[in-house]
Amino acid sequence: MGAWLDYTINGLIVGNIYALLAVGLALIFGVSHLINFAQGSIYTAGAFIGWTCAQRLGTPLPVTMAAVVLGCAALGVVIERVGLRPLAGSARIAPLLATIGISFVLDQGLQLLYSPDPRSLPSPLPAWRIQVGRGTIGALDILIAATGLVSAAVLFGFLRFSRLGWAVRATAQDSEAARQMGVNTDAVNRTVFAIAAGLGGLSGLLVGMYYNHIDTAMSFQATLKGVVAQVIGGMGNVPGAIAGSLLLGLTESYGVALFGSSYRNLFAFVLLLIVLVLRPNGLFAGRQAMSPEPLTGTFIAPSRPWDVPRWAVAVCVLLAALLPFLPNSAYALQVLTNAWLYALLAISLTLVAGTLGQVSLGHAGLLLIGAYASALLALDSGLPVWLSIPAAGFVTAALGTALTWPAFRLRSHYVSIATLGIGEIVGLVILNWESLTHGPMGVTGVPPLTAGTVELDSPQASYWVALAVLVLLGLMQSRLLGTHLGRTFRAIRDDDVAARACGVSLDRYKGLAFAVSGFAAGISGAISAHLYSYINNETFTSQVSVLALTMVILGGMGNVLGAVIGAVALTGLPEVFRFTAEYRQLIYGLVLLLMIRFRPQGILGTA
Amino acid sequence: MQLTRRAVLAVPALIPFAARAAGPVFAGVSGPLTGPNAQYGAQWKRGFDLALDGINGAGGVKGRPLQYIFEDSQSDPRQSVAVAQKFVADPRVVIELGDFSSPASMAASPIYQRAKLVQFGFTNSHPDFTKGGDHMWSNSTSQAEEQPKLYDFAAALGFKRPAVLHLNTDWGRTAKDAFVAAAKTGGAAVAAVEAYLGTEQDFRPTLVRVRDSNPDGLVLLSYYADGALICRQARDTGIKLPVLAGTSNYSPKFLELGGPGVEDVFVMTTFFPADPRPEVQDFVKRYRAKSGTDPDSFSAGAYDTMVLWAKLVEGWGPTREGMQAGLLEIKDVPSVIYGAATFDPRTRRVQGASYKRLVVQKGQFTLWDGNRPT
Repeated sequence: MGAWLDYTINGLIVGNIYALLAVGLALIFGVSHLINFAQGSIYTAGAFIGWTCAQRLGTPLPVTMAAVVLGCAALGVVIERVGLRPLAGSARIAPLLATIGISFVLDQGLQLLYSPDPRSLPSPLPAWRIQVGRGTIGALDILIAATGLVSAAVLFGFLRFSRLGWAVRATAQDSEAARQMGVNTDAVNRTVFAIAAGLGGLSGLLVGMYYNHIDTAMSFQATLKGVVAQVIGGMGNVPGAIAGSLLLGLTESYGVALFGSSYRNLFAFVLLLIVLVLRPNGLFAGRQAMSPEPLTGTFIAPSRPWDVPRWAVAVCVLLAALLPFLPNSAYALQVLTNAWLYALLAISLTLVAGTLGQVSLGHAGLLLIGAYASALLALDSGLPVWLSIPAAGFVTAALGTALTWPAFRLRSHYVSIATLGIGEIVGLVILNWESLTHGPMGVTGVPPLTAGTVELDSPQASYWVALAVLVLLGLMQSRLLGTHLGRTFRAIRDDDVAARACGVSLDRYKGLAFAVSGFAAGISGAISAHLYSYINNETFTSQVSVLALTMVILGGMGNVLGAVIGAVALTGLPEVFRFTAEYRQLIYGLVLLLMIRFRPQGILGTA
Repeated sequence: MQLTRRAVLAVPALIPFAARAAGPVFAGVSGPLTGPNAQYGAQWKRGFDLALDGINGAGGVKGRPLQYIFEDSQSDPRQSVAVAQKFVADPRVVIELGDFSSPASMAASPIYQRAKLVQFGFTNSHPDFTKGGDHMWSNSTSQAEEQPKLYDFAAALGFKRPAVLHLNTDWGRTAKDAFVAAAKTGGAAVAAVEAYLGTEQDFRPTLVRVRDSNPDGLVLLSYYADGALICRQARDTGIKLPVLAGTSNYSPKFLELGGPGVEDVFVMTTFFPADPRPEVQDFVKRYRAKSGTDPDSFSAGAYDTMVLWAKLVEGWGPTREGMQAGLLEIKDVPSVIYGAATFDPRTRRVQGASYKRLVVQKGQFTLWDGNRPT
């Protein structure tokens, strides 16, 4: 019994921390319907501003906190002005990509400025501790809880009782109408970003002091947990975000109590899925909120795609096929092999994200399933590689569809978050299901690619295999887009209510699309496994999912050729910038931002 | 011809004029300079640069300076294979060092093996790493050797029911299995085993679970950052048991991040700056002068690797074949971790690291005086 009290206290303590992360995300989502992927980077920036003040300038805590809030608020204003306002007229998917690009730039900038070494950030608060159960809580725990509650209360009051708060809420409900009524929506967005960034920075400082640990790689985890917490509470719902965070903390703590710490995140993501399936508006949504998809076709903007003539594509494919005959090309071939494998992933994702309008952030999970399926079939069941790879494609199609099935009834951002959770769950199950997957040791000695008895392990051979598979699946998908099936997918994307009214069974078509998509992703993962000879649960992380989505948006949603171009660009650019060493990710992020700025509908446009 | 700019600019300035007559000898380094593991790449560089300062400052090897080409892989297998092709195709590169994580290193192994370029994975403790081919070598300490020593330390501290917390990765898993096996042989009953994820920061519920298994001590198979967090939170959770941390916790950062929470924590290490051996003292003195902090086991491993490479170039010539032949034959290389390193030609790993028993006292690592914790 005593232990359960301790688990409860510990769950509330960590939930407290998630609350700080979730409130800022909830505020931005509530107003601009945007998952701000840069929020984690602002959190990191806040921690480092705090470190500079406290450790270098020796400021007392209140001054440090004020400096962090002001510094991060200024950063938020800059982000809104530079990264998001120019994209106001384009589809909401473009600002999402912009926040990803901004988080790249911020993280890398901080890393260059402060070095990647972790640092300590000691808390200047008195060291007294209160005995609760058999554990203790300290002054910092109380400060964190107070910050969360006070900021939620102040926000609530601000939104409810101040004129600017009304303007914020009006903008959140309908920014067009608000503008017509004379609300300066730019000013509203600026204010919201400033407040959310200030809060994000403050949470970075407090959490950094709590763990006495800050480093430049902590952004992604912070975003991930913050997003999960705010979805549980209800997206865009500030008080809900706090309740959701505490619930998430408790679930994790009880999960550890029951099954041990390696299952912790599994519990978090399963809770996320359950909430999304049963109460998509969050556990704490009051009245039925407005439909999350505001108007037809605004999530993915229609645009006129560039029509690339067929002969040009054929010439490019031919040139690509002849490339291995150039001397000394092994490095270029390896980079392009990676690009073709990523392109397979991107065409898989562009089908569900672009053509069907279900933006998945869990495609790395499909790669993992494909890689493990093929590796284990080849190693443990003795299947020849040329059979295990297509078999892995079918396994991924089946498992992937079954796993994403709970997300079928969701729309827009909810799909992204549910699939993000599903992707994480796949990785965690692979880590923990040791009898099947070899657990954390991974699978070693995966046999190389073979065709019959011929080993295809030279760079040239693997290049041709990847290219051939890509051309084949790419052609099939282009063909599919022109058929009745492709038109139905696009109908679901453009207006699912109308599609259903016309007798389209949404679940079946979504299932079909995810199966086709899973097949391509599974093949990509399977080929990678045989090229690498070793895989483990970290071979494809959720960062790969984000990268794949970046490729798809960059190429043009739903556009098969665009996905390939996006994959080549984003695999090639970091290699091209190799000579810049530590700066290459920074440059990559900046190039990404410029591309979104000047072609928000993607290079080739939405198909 | 894409060199890491810093590697190219920094080194020539240190080379005496005469040495420039013959061109430099190159090693390729594949490792994380950006991305979540960038801190380890930064540590490597410090160790490498320090070793090269010494070697090239003394005129290089047979008049030729040594240099490294650091290609950033972010410890991502997709990038490490591209880097591998690059190094393999670059005739100047005589040996490859790295990568950091097992997925990144082992994905590149087939490429190095086919090209007969030695892949020297100095952080690769995965037991299957050197089984990737006869050109895969490692001087990373073997967990099969290290964990029994850690258990001996635990037994000397009087642990009869230790609880083990380990990182749930291939490294942590190998270490845990070896420790539990050693404990079983030694007659101790392991009270609890908890695997945690590398991204974890909140250990309080895990620690309550550990506490309720009634152990008489905690054993941490962690890296210094998570090790420090666990120690701090153990105190907050009301656990007053003695804590023993494995070798990868040895770092000045462990003290910095742990603060008062790591006081009285026992740490085993392969490398200790107060070690009186001259090569250690030389390393530590120069490291402090250059970086202003004490080195840790990651930079010590990188330093050792460069010193070993210089010996290989000196004895067996600056060629790829020379590196492989040298590793098969080389004996008793001076090493800050091993004292003298010799490779077992069958396992292609080094045996016989020397271990020190430390305890944190007044915020400093000090040699343990042999008194059991009360």
